[in-house]
Amino acid sequence: MERLDFLRELGNIGIGHATTALSEMLQGKLLRLVVPDARILPFEEAAAYIGGLDEIVAGIFMQISGDVTGHMAFILPIESARTLVELLTQRHGTDEEIFDELGRSALEEIGNIMITSYLNALSALTDLVMSPSIPALAIDMAGAVWESVLAGALVDEAVTIIRTDFSADGVDIGGNIVLLPDEEEFQKIEHALGLEDF
Amino acid sequence: MPKTVLITDDTAFMRMTLKNVIQKNGYIVVGEAADGEEAVAKYLELRPDLVTMDITMPKMDGITAIKEIMRHDPNARIIVCSAMGQKPMVIEALNAGAKDFLVKPFDADRVIEALRKAAP
Repeated sequence: MERLDFLRELGNIGIGHATTALSEMLQGKLLRLVVPDARILPFEEAAAYIGGLDEIVAGIFMQISGDVTGHMAFILPIESARTLVELLTQRHGTDEEIFDELGRSALEEIGNIMITSYLNALSALTDLVMSPSIPALAIDMAGAVWESVLAGALVDEAVTIIRTDFSADGVDIGGNIVLLPDEEEFQKIEHALGLEDF
Repeated sequence: MPKTVLITDDTAFMRMTLKNVIQKNGYIVVGEAADGEEAVAKYLELRPDLVTMDITMPKMDGITAIKEIMRHDPNARIIVCSAMGQKPMVIEALNAGAKDFLVKPFDADRVIEALRKAAP
């Protein structure tokens, strides 16, 4: 199995679980529409793939420790973040009103659940422990959010992105799970899964 | 007498969600804690019948907080509510004294079922 096929399949399992769970949080308003798409891209292309450096996005990031170390992020366009927060908190208003302390903490929780569900699926398959840190949230231009994400990451030159699209109350919501295992750490996962020979 | 509950989670949104679910089902939320340290302090102060405990939190994590609370009160009834559902973490929490382990996000029925089972 190719690494990307594996990541995509893992995306199906992890994100399937996360979206089912998020739908429950949203009282069934969230529906998964598109099968996750996984890509490994150089940094510059990754930013463009997600929507351009000047676009405003919300990024939730977590450091991963345990048997496999690295960083993960959940990045979504500001409109998608807004829709999710409005649905979760049952409020409407200006950006400032929506992204107040409660709104920001709802976004952190969405990121936490998306990322951790993915890690839980990976852990169940590999028997490796991957513990996420407390989530950090940034709402800014994508370029600045990328800088925050990459600041602590010990990666070579490429990032893995698992794209996932939903629709909630007739509004399309896009999100991207970004996987940044530290150098060499991917091999541990592949080793645990016996994928090295492929 | 309705049972009393202390909610522990570092995100305000999750505390609000849990509080709504728990109060709708006849329990009284007597306190909220945003980290493990606060959970231990509030447990000793409020002596609730039940505690919900997140795992990944600043200052003191949930596993340490469970151990601390159990050290003061071996009869404490603590239910973990965490996104981190990996097997070793579940086992560690149960070994530390947690009565149940719910993986976030959970549905309301599961939360109430766990509370009822822990304190009939």
